[in-house]
Amino acid sequence: MLREWERCPRHLLVSERSNFQLERSRHAAAIRGHPFNCRVSFLIPECGALPDKLKSVIQNFGKYYLVKDLPIHEFVSHDFISIFIKKGAFYALSYNTKIDQDNTVAVLPTGKLILSVDKDTYEELGLQGKPSRYSGKKVMRYIVTIDLTDAAFLPDTKKHKRVLWALKENKPLTFDFLLAWHSTDVEVSTAMSYFSKLKMKEYEPRIASSILRDLHCPILQNSELQGKPEKSCSAHELFDWLGAVSNNVDCNNHSYSFISTYCCPQPSAVLSRACLCTLTGFILPEKIHHLLDHLCQYFDEPKLAPWVILMVHGFADSPVSWRESEHGFHKGGENLYSFVIFNNQDYWLQMAVGTNDDCPP
Amino acid sequence: MEDAIYKTLPSAEAKELNIQVLVMEFLGDDAVLLSCPQGPKESEAFVSAFLKRCLPGLREEVIQERLNRKAVILEHSIKQKKKQKRKRRKGLSAKEKRQLRLFEIKPEQQRYDLFLPLHNLWKQYIRDLCNGLRADTQPQMIQTKLLKADLHGAFVTVKKSKCPTYVGLSGIILQETKHIFKIITKDDKLKAVPKCNTVFSVEVDGFISYIYGSRFQLRSSERSAKKFKMKGSIDL
Repeated sequence: MLREWERCPRHLLVSERSNFQLERSRHAAAIRGHPFNCRVSFLIPECGALPDKLKSVIQNFGKYYLVKDLPIHEFVSHDFISIFIKKGAFYALSYNTKIDQDNTVAVLPTGKLILSVDKDTYEELGLQGKPSRYSGKKVMRYIVTIDLTDAAFLPDTKKHKRVLWALKENKPLTFDFLLAWHSTDVEVSTAMSYFSKLKMKEYEPRIASSILRDLHCPILQNSELQGKPEKSCSAHELFDWLGAVSNNVDCNNHSYSFISTYCCPQPSAVLSRACLCTLTGFILPEKIHHLLDHLCQYFDEPKLAPWVILMVHGFADSPVSWRESEHGFHKGGENLYSFVIFNNQDYWLQMAVGTNDDCPP
Repeated sequence: MEDAIYKTLPSAEAKELNIQVLVMEFLGDDAVLLSCPQGPKESEAFVSAFLKRCLPGLREEVIQERLNRKAVILEHSIKQKKKQKRKRRKGLSAKEKRQLRLFEIKPEQQRYDLFLPLHNLWKQYIRDLCNGLRADTQPQMIQTKLLKADLHGAFVTVKKSKCPTYVGLSGIILQETKHIFKIITKDDKLKAVPKCNTVFSVEVDGFISYIYGSRFQLRSSERSAKKFKMKGSIDL
């Protein structure tokens, strides 16, 4: 598996070690900076059943909405901005659009509308953008960024009129959107009635949990991010192993297996049981942060487990990975991060991106 | 050539020939061949006497001098054409006109309503050109006509452009150069739009045609004579 990775074009894995209690800890920024998450999973070793506290957390993971044929100019209208953008964190991502061939639109919680459009649409659209970083010599993709919170974007300004004209009259674009909103003081479902005139459907993240038995797991040493031969595994090896565990790849390395020859990195230990819980959907960073806090509290009572792991996968076809850094698909479009939480509140943070991506923060 | 002939002939014969040639020359118009007396001396005397009779105005020395001519070319010589002096152009050259800003429209005359009559005139012109636009007219026929038509006064809109700020610009064409359309917009602004990398749309009585500017980079006078070829696919 490692060899496969090396044969890939450029890919990046950033690993860092810190403590949640430290003031300079960047874990919150890393979570908040990654707006679009499609899968969250966590692995708790030596745990037969999901603790009730965590169960209640994942069952209140918030709703998200799928709106059909939403014209983009809705996002530019003043009503929308004052209701959603200014009063909370609004997340929107076009659904079933492929970043390397279709137009893709996203609204970031910072109030930026990002359109990743192909060359032909860009030429017709009439909005200034910049060429994509990963489209080669002959530019076939452009990124248009509109700041909805900008002071110059008030209604009846020249800029606002131009954007509205471009998206409403010149080139009306409609997409299916995944929407979610996070606000502390307004009920989400009442605000979402704003879109009631369109076809809208409500969803909740799908939860799947399983107990893994007799799992080989690498031995980690908190202070050794690089790993020590014969003593502990490195972060890179752990990253491989996490991929195998979350995809249910067997690590036995049987000679008759033609599917995978992967085996657990050495040194390893055998876990009699481990609890793996996976949520899939359109998951907000705020909820992930909430889940992370609860996972940290897991060690408040003495536990057998040396660590707990939280893995978060981003959408492969989202136009951004972290913050506003451009994201492309290339081979797999992976953008993910994982936390390894040790029982003394230390953590390892691993952030990985594929080829057409900027370095994670 | 005649020199060559003389050389090959014996001298006596040559003299004879010479005389005969001379006689023929003088009598060319009359086309009468006189019977020449034989013998060199006699013939010489005959010639001088004959010439004296024919040309009473000339003195003898002049006639003799004429007879000393060595060769006479009978074929007509080609007249060299005189180089005609080019007529000097009246008025100013294009460069001078440009320097005098004759091609530019004064700011106080840059008004949209001022050019509406031009637009109406252009519409009339297109209708005449296409024998009255009707709904059942074949679009292809209109296309070929429009390709050669004059576009001054047409109302165009920029549909596509590599530069997004040009998109959506619309107005009446006032000037067309090789690379640029000068357009007056409805809010009385004169804009110069490059033809390169731009697609324009022209609307005449419900017929909308698109102009791919990159293929259109010609002066309007040159365009009327150019043959446009079909190309597989065009990008802008």
